[in-house]
Amino acid sequence: MAKFFDVIIVGAGPAGSLAAIKLARAGRNVVMVERGKYPGAKNMFGGLVHHTPVLNEMLPDFWDRAPLERHVYKKVLAFMTPQSAVSLTFENENFDKPPYNGYTVFRPAFDSWLADEAVKAGALLLCDCTAEDIIKENGRVAGVTVKGREGELRGKIVIAADGVLSFLAKKAGLRQDFKASNMGVGIKLLLGLPEATINERFHLVRDQGADISFLGAAGDIRGGGFLYTNRESVSIGLVVHLDSLQSSGKTPYDTLNDFLQHPSVKKLIKGSTPLEYSAHLIPEGGFSALPPLYTDGLMLAGDAAGLCYTNGINLEGINLAMTSGVLAAGTAIEALEANDFTARTLSLYKKKLETSFVMKDMKTFKNAAGMMRLERLFQTYPQVLAGVMEKMYRADGVPRSKLLRLARKEALQEVGLKNLIADGFRIGRALL
Amino acid sequence: MNIENLTQLTQFQVDDQPHIVVNKEICQTCDHRACVRACPANCYTFNEETKLLSVVYETCLECGTCYVLCDKGALEWGYPRGGYGVCYRLT
Repeated sequence: MAKFFDVIIVGAGPAGSLAAIKLARAGRNVVMVERGKYPGAKNMFGGLVHHTPVLNEMLPDFWDRAPLERHVYKKVLAFMTPQSAVSLTFENENFDKPPYNGYTVFRPAFDSWLADEAVKAGALLLCDCTAEDIIKENGRVAGVTVKGREGELRGKIVIAADGVLSFLAKKAGLRQDFKASNMGVGIKLLLGLPEATINERFHLVRDQGADISFLGAAGDIRGGGFLYTNRESVSIGLVVHLDSLQSSGKTPYDTLNDFLQHPSVKKLIKGSTPLEYSAHLIPEGGFSALPPLYTDGLMLAGDAAGLCYTNGINLEGINLAMTSGVLAAGTAIEALEANDFTARTLSLYKKKLETSFVMKDMKTFKNAAGMMRLERLFQTYPQVLAGVMEKMYRADGVPRSKLLRLARKEALQEVGLKNLIADGFRIGRALL
Repeated sequence: MNIENLTQLTQFQVDDQPHIVVNKEICQTCDHRACVRACPANCYTFNEETKLLSVVYETCLECGTCYVLCDKGALEWGYPRGGYGVCYRLT
């Protein structure tokens, strides 16, 4: 086995595999180091691969060949209180034809398939290898040591696509400690249901899928719930802020159980068979928490780079990861041509990210991370909304109010004028 | 579903070398022991009588919640050796 490579990619996830495809196609000697028994064995996400232009460019027929579950046709945003749910459903014929706007997938299947495409293009895949440390030579990163299959791998450039807890980024001095205030934890239960039941329950036909986000589904913890339909199962779970989880003193699984018992959720999963339970951290610090993305001989991609954001409506990471992987690979190709692996040359990576949607979206929603820390967003506002809806619909012989008066009264009573103005400003800065 | 049943759904390739080691002395004086309640796989237990914190690394989902929440430096936490640890099949 050649132990010297042009590029060593740590992590055969979506960022790593797309980087490997691009490098291998450019004729470069590239290796992917994966700590799982197979790519995806350690990976978990909510369930949706967003439409990602670079994926279509690199693998134009991927949607015909990749192991996909359903394309997402229906988007639902639900505001939850313990007794009620107010939801907004969006169904769109444009999401029902290729190029589809996103697909639900199983990560072990999808990530393995993507890594296999890299192998077909000429990349080497080493599974069972946990990258433990970086090797430095003349002050620059020049390789990694691995445990599992013990040994050293040396190369001209390392792309660390080793996930949210990137120990390589830390060892390279690009990250300090991982802060609880910048992290969310996702926990998920995969529940088996017959295909016909899913289609009936979620009003879907053919390969149509649904993506439901639940705001205020985690009791007094800042966080939300998600549900994605697969072909014969649904992925359901919660994402909660770590610091909020800690201060609540609650356990994640009890909180998940409470969510699954909510009257509007319970009936969606009735009669299902539990198939798998999983948990993973999510970088939720947004733009202001991004680490430096490169140093001499090393670039960070995907979750390792903190490229992930949520603004309450969009939850994106995997598309940013794949795009960053391709841009890191493009930078590596240019650095190899120039035979210069210094931080100065690799700074091109940051410029590429800044001109792509990746950094533009991170910047556009840079205030959203702060907004998502607003406690009232998860409990009080769903309650205000549900309160207005209930009074709007309830027929009890009490004379009705007009809508604005009703909303004003409900909001002032629950939130207060001062908070309303402050929150309005914060939400406005994040989203408007 | 209770947590024991939940982790039974998931597949693990258990290593004989633990990838988490707790410093029981530091944990005795910890004022929050957030790991005990925050771990999604309920890997941590604090025994009120012996005042000892113990960890079951065998059903660890490798999410890192404990590692991020521990602010006492009491956890030696790393990923398991390649090929070992949690092994998701679907998800």
